[in-house]
Amino acid sequence: MNTQAILKRILLWSAILAGLVAVIGGIVGFAVAGTAGLLGAVVGTAVAALFGALTALSILLAIKVSGGDMFSGAFFGIVLGGWLVKFIAFIALIFVIRDADWINPIAAFVSIVAAVVGSLIVDLVVIARSRQPIIEDDRPDESTLGRPAGQR
Amino acid sequence: MDTATTLLAAIEGNIATVGYGLAAIGPAIGVGIIVGKTVEAMARQPEMSGRLMITMFIGVAFAEALAFIGIATYFFMV
Repeated sequence: MNTQAILKRILLWSAILAGLVAVIGGIVGFAVAGTAGLLGAVVGTAVAALFGALTALSILLAIKVSGGDMFSGAFFGIVLGGWLVKFIAFIALIFVIRDADWINPIAAFVSIVAAVVGSLIVDLVVIARSRQPIIEDDRPDESTLGRPAGQR
Repeated sequence: MDTATTLLAAIEGNIATVGYGLAAIGPAIGVGIIVGKTVEAMARQPEMSGRLMITMFIGVAFAEALAFIGIATYFFMV
């Protein structure tokens, strides 16, 4: 299993986990604080899942743009630039939703923590169960007469 | 005039912004070390870059989890 396949599997399982956290958090939030608790849990989970997934998405995009060459400059530019922009967006979003009276801040906070910690567990389980080779080679390409793609 | 109760200075504003600063320092240093060490490892063994990329992803995910929880704590709980 190569790097892109692992990252795509992480994205899939993180989305499934976020759905579970949103449902359970929404039920608990609704029972404790009514509609505001339900919305707080759903918004908190959505924010945590979206911003957590952006790291894997940025690495996937960076691999595509740089062609797998991590020293191309584009790779770390996209990954670290995406990280910076993500945090600015996260702070701006938190600024907006913390004063909104239609969400319960405690429900939002608890669901953010649950989704973030849960996504870390999912990442670790997926990577531990993936069988990534130590050395990845380019596959032989028909158009290059059996040599790895990119070599002439 | 009672000098003991005289107010010399006042700080106004939201303390959550200080919390953001504190929550940003640790992950920023952490991500810097993670990426720097990944580049170092790749320079030594470029053929391992696939595994190093995944290991870097795990490190960045842990560092950003700390930042998310730190920022959310200050903004939602203060």
